[in-house]
Amino acid sequence: MPSVEERVIAVAARVLRLDPSEIKPEHAFTTDLGAESVQSVELVANFEEEFGIEMDEDAALAVQTVGDAVTFIANVCKERGVDV
Amino acid sequence: MRLILLDRLNGKRFHFYPLALSRPIWELRCGMTTLGEKLVAKTGASDVACFVPPYMAEVYRAESGRPVNDPRSLRGDDLLVVNGRVKASHVCVERKGPSRIATDADGECLYARIAKEDLPRLNSDSVDALLDSARQSLPAVEEEVPVWDYTWDLVLANPEQLREDFTAAGRSGIEGTVEEPSAIRGSRKDVYVAPGAMVHPMVVLDAAEGPIYIDEGAQIHPYTRIEGPSYIGKKTILLGAKCREGNTIGPVCRVGGEVEESIIHGYSNKYHDGFLGHAYVGEWVNLGALTTNSDLKNDYSHVEVTLEDGRPVNTGSTKVGSLIGDHTKTSIGTLLNTGANVGAMAVVNTTGMPLPKFIPSFAWLVKGAVTKGHGRTGLYRTAEVAMGRRKRPWTPAHQAMWDEVFELTAEARNKALKKGRIALAAS
Repeated sequence: MPSVEERVIAVAARVLRLDPSEIKPEHAFTTDLGAESVQSVELVANFEEEFGIEMDEDAALAVQTVGDAVTFIANVCKERGVDV
Repeated sequence: MRLILLDRLNGKRFHFYPLALSRPIWELRCGMTTLGEKLVAKTGASDVACFVPPYMAEVYRAESGRPVNDPRSLRGDDLLVVNGRVKASHVCVERKGPSRIATDADGECLYARIAKEDLPRLNSDSVDALLDSARQSLPAVEEEVPVWDYTWDLVLANPEQLREDFTAAGRSGIEGTVEEPSAIRGSRKDVYVAPGAMVHPMVVLDAAEGPIYIDEGAQIHPYTRIEGPSYIGKKTILLGAKCREGNTIGPVCRVGGEVEESIIHGYSNKYHDGFLGHAYVGEWVNLGALTTNSDLKNDYSHVEVTLEDGRPVNTGSTKVGSLIGDHTKTSIGTLLNTGANVGAMAVVNTTGMPLPKFIPSFAWLVKGAVTKGHGRTGLYRTAEVAMGRRKRPWTPAHQAMWDEVFELTAEARNKALKKGRIALAAS
């Protein structure tokens, strides 16, 4: 099964139309990956669907980097009892 | 006699969502005034108290300056309790006479006249207790009481109501400024330009089919054409608008493009081109350039509107446009489907195609899918900025009210969010 990081990168690549190999944990969604405001909203919705979780939108949108998103989502999954 | 305006959080209230999410039903408009103003005028009441859903009481108390949800209002005088859905033009309740109560088929009180001497035998601890005891002990009225059933009823009745309200206002002539060259078509007695209102050159006021009332401080910019019956509210600005018949606009709106038979509450903007027809728009709405709503289906069949509970209702009319709740914003080029129900505090982004017919409150529509967007905090911040620009404060009471609206509308939104996540993942 792919790791949380691989799944986050796969979703980010699909939404932002990037090659997954170009996305690194230290990349910021906006400044490095070019995510616009609407795409940030799409990312949150897609992460929720990918992991079967609901995230607080204010907290989710405060996440800056891919690595932080991996940590944030892993924590939410743990809190919700979702296996990843 | 004290008039008690009544709006309870039950029954058919949701028929008036999203507009009634943030105001009592009687604050909805038809013609030149609100339903409540018509009820007050019809009953001749000078003493008015209100009972509203608790979550909006604090905001409404500050806005109306009237006693709101105060049980003391239920004592010490003859009471005429009138549901905000009752049509004022049909209110035939004598100010004096024996106590009686009229209810609808679901037992909801439509009106009750309660003589002061009967109050001691009723429970006036709360308005609900009073009405419960009135139902049990007062004679029931057998007559049918005409009521407003849905928001679009107000839109469809607006042209005729505008004519009646113009006559009732009893004003006519130019008390403001009409700069030359402008043209008044039809009878000048069917036009009223209030003091401080300014009609710029190259404006056509076409009163041939109905009266036009331009209220204080309104500005009508060049190349605007207004067809009567129409009401342009205080300090509203029309910017080269093609203002077809049957409009109620303002106060403090900015409106351009084409607008037909629509009601627009205060402080809303539709600055640019785009068509709005048979629509009802709340306060603090911004419709981006080229936002257009359909109000007629290609097969001329009756328009259906999907209510908050997900149920489509046949309006019985071939012409119904959008219902748009307070603080909602649309992006440039938004295309709203026929009879679209767009909730309050929503952010609607264009897809280039007609959007879903039901967009929940607090939704961010992205690629036609409902998302959480930037959440409530961002929406509240925007609302505060928008209101601040017009010197209106966003208070903790507003936030508390909208928090409650968020909860009230959660079920419909959560269903749409679930579908939205699937749609976005598949896109």
